Amino acid sequence: MDNKINLSQLAERLAQEGGMSKAAAEQFVKNFFDIISQRVLVEGLVKVKGLGTFKLIQMEDRESVNVNTGERFTIEGHQKISFVPDADLKDRINKPFAAFDTVEISKEQAEALSRMDEEDEQEAVAPVAPAVPEKPAVPEKPAVPEKPAAPEKPAAPEKPAEEPKKSAKEKRLEQKQAKKAEEAKMKAQKQQEKKEAAKIVDTPTVKDITQKKGTRCLLKVLIAILTMILVIGLVLFMLWPVVGNSVLDIVEKNLNKAKIEMVSDSVKTVAPAEVAPVKAVEAPAETESAKPAESPAVKPAQPQQKPAEPAVKPAETPAGTDALTAAKYPVIKLNSKDEAKDLSEFTLADVVNYSMEGVLDTYTLKKGETLTIVALNYYGSKKLWPYIAKYNNIKDPARLKAGTVVKVPVLKSK
Amino acid sequence: MNNKQFLNELSDKCQIGAEQAATQVEQLIGVMEKIWQDGDSVSLSGFGVLEVKKKNERVSVNPTTGVRMLVPPKLVLTYKPSSLLKEKLK
Repeated sequence: MDNKINLSQLAERLAQEGGMSKAAAEQFVKNFFDIISQRVLVEGLVKVKGLGTFKLIQMEDRESVNVNTGERFTIEGHQKISFVPDADLKDRINKPFAAFDTVEISKEQAEALSRMDEEDEQEAVAPVAPAVPEKPAVPEKPAVPEKPAAPEKPAAPEKPAEEPKKSAKEKRLEQKQAKKAEEAKMKAQKQQEKKEAAKIVDTPTVKDITQKKGTRCLLKVLIAILTMILVIGLVLFMLWPVVGNSVLDIVEKNLNKAKIEMVSDSVKTVAPAEVAPVKAVEAPAETESAKPAESPAVKPAQPQQKPAEPAVKPAETPAGTDALTAAKYPVIKLNSKDEAKDLSEFTLADVVNYSMEGVLDTYTLKKGETLTIVALNYYGSKKLWPYIAKYNNIKDPARLKAGTVVKVPVLKSK
Repeated sequence: MNNKQFLNELSDKCQIGAEQAATQVEQLIGVMEKIWQDGDSVSLSGFGVLEVKKKNERVSVNPTTGVRMLVPPKLVLTYKPSSLLKEKLK
């Protein structure tokens, strides 16, 4: 064991093995290695079947640091003889450890192993040291589950130990492995105890768990918020036509009503002033609808007073202020569902509650004009265009040509 | 230099037949293997030392995937050239 076999000893054993003279064997061994060492220098590569390959390798220049002075210096490039053993020989040499496989391990296990190594060093320096961490760990022992890394290490060296062995080398290995297994077990135990001790002080695992829980909770809350936003968005999207249109509608209606009052009721002089801001908001609609409302066509405007009235009823306040509050609706109560319901009722009433009696006017459509504009001009409301379409038997109101003559019916509330 | 060339040169030098050289090489390697298995090393002046070394188990980490692997311990045949041979390299 750990002996250095020199040339003569090797030759002696070879002579015994091959049944040749010691001198011849010595000569043979000497030649054998001489050829290798000479040829590898000359040819750069010597392959010996059953032993391996000797190779000359060129090492590049590299920079290094003098450990003592911290100075940088270059290690000049040089040549090096490398030896790669034959695959068969390699396997045979490694036979005692052949049972091992490379195993994938978790981070914790890796850390545990590295800590074990550290403990190895500590033990080497001060063998009393491991006794210290044992003390605080004792009471907590049963609480902690077996450490996964613990069985791993002792299990590994045990395997080859089970294999039948005869030679001294193998016996030595066996002893070593057995020793190592015991050591590993002890270390694992100590490790465990240490960990427990650490837990009491730092409770790192608890922290980990709470952290994990925290992140999970955060995730859940995030998901909940996202779904809520989605649902709200969906509801808004679905209700938008109703809400949006009704809001527009009520604004228009109130405007009309205010206008009518301007024309018919000379009593309320305050009204126009109050409506003014609303006018500014609905400027285009206002200017266009204002003309027919004030012009000889007072009639079509009048019937509108009735559908508009239900809007006033619940409030039962002076028309002027009502118009103002109504105008404020879209700003303040845009999202209120009750409001939307009321508004939609009014709009429905708008469209359904009239009958067509006679022709009010005939109108020739100009380029870019639609029935809604005509309805807006004559009735003061875009919503009433279907009456015109119905009265003129227009089947596809979206594709009207410029120059189409439409009859505008007189609308009377049912 | 491959095995055949090596055997030829060896048989020339020892003045033995190529076949005998081959068998003797096999025997020599067999003897050395036993030496190594006993935990001994072959040390030859002017050539170097051939010995078996135990490499401890270690944890290797794949830098791209971060997967940790426990590499088992192993016995490896190593060669250390003699200082005489190293001198010749320069």
